[in-house]
Amino acid sequence: MTLYMLLVTGGLVLATFATRAALLLAGQRFKPSPRVEAALRFAPICALAALIAPEIVVREGTVDFSLTNPRLVAALAATAFFLWKRSMVGCIVVGTLVIAAFRFGVNG
Amino acid sequence: MVRTAWRAELLRGVRTALPAAPGVLAWGLVTGVAMVKSGITVPWAIVISLLVYAGSAQLAALPLIAAAQPFWIVSLAALVTNSRFVIYGASLRRWFEEYSLRRRAVLGYFTGDFTFAMFMGRVTRDGEFAHRDAWFLGACLFNWVVWQVSSIVGIVAATAIPSEWGLQFAGTLALLALAIPPCLKWPGLAGAAVAAPVAVLARGLPFGLGLLVGILAGIGAAVAVDSLLARPEQTVQREQG
Repeated sequence: MTLYMLLVTGGLVLATFATRAALLLAGQRFKPSPRVEAALRFAPICALAALIAPEIVVREGTVDFSLTNPRLVAALAATAFFLWKRSMVGCIVVGTLVIAAFRFGVNG
Repeated sequence: MVRTAWRAELLRGVRTALPAAPGVLAWGLVTGVAMVKSGITVPWAIVISLLVYAGSAQLAALPLIAAAQPFWIVSLAALVTNSRFVIYGASLRRWFEEYSLRRRAVLGYFTGDFTFAMFMGRVTRDGEFAHRDAWFLGACLFNWVVWQVSSIVGIVAATAIPSEWGLQFAGTLALLALAIPPCLKWPGLAGAAVAAPVAVLARGLPFGLGLLVGILAGIGAAVAVDSLLARPEQTVQREQG
């Protein structure tokens, strides 16, 4: 068990370090073309969108765009609040409050 | 002089990462709880959290460890789950290429979803600003501390924290706040508008590969819209020249 966990931990460290650091370590040796470099400007927004979209609209395995989906309503309210106040903490608080309101309002 | 400026930039990085703390905290807590509930002992869960420091890869590895799959299968699954970080690395590379190998290894090790998005936001605004390694490190180290504290609390108090609280959504909300500003420009909006549905439709792919497909599709859309918008300006410039 201990040997197995040692190997697993070592493997996980290597795997995650390799994905995150490999291209930084390559430095000058990995120089994408200017076109690719320009395209990578959009990597952050696309990664953020791809990370959060399933968390918001997928409910118990199926896509739910209805206003009975607490996470969808929470995301809409949080977006509106962020556009108004430009506050990340506010965005988190508003969204979390909506989720809580659904939990206690709907069940209570 | 240089040291003071370096330290000031480090603190500026910490300050930028500060508002995301509630989201990172909730996500770390949930990951810690999940590790122990999957059957990993408390000491090993703490070791993995401290050394591996990769929420989604850790979560992907859990069922495989519980099923006693060979260690290289577990590692391979983590590698594929973490593949979006290769894109992050490709984007960060040019901003860090002048630093020493050791410095780049450290910056790479600590890269996370939040700090990547925040750093790219800063360089998009300010270009090659001085001591950007310090800024990135400050944001990353702060993130690391918040994550580790909450993850270890989750590991130790796992039985006291019901998973149905849905705490991890706070992490999604923090990422949402980062995603809104770039969407106020057409190419960013196009990228998000394509990446999001593609990631949702492809969510069934193994090891979170749907995420990667979504990111690549989104980048393609953003580039297409960007070049469509750029064309009229170029024509104008050519006519003037």
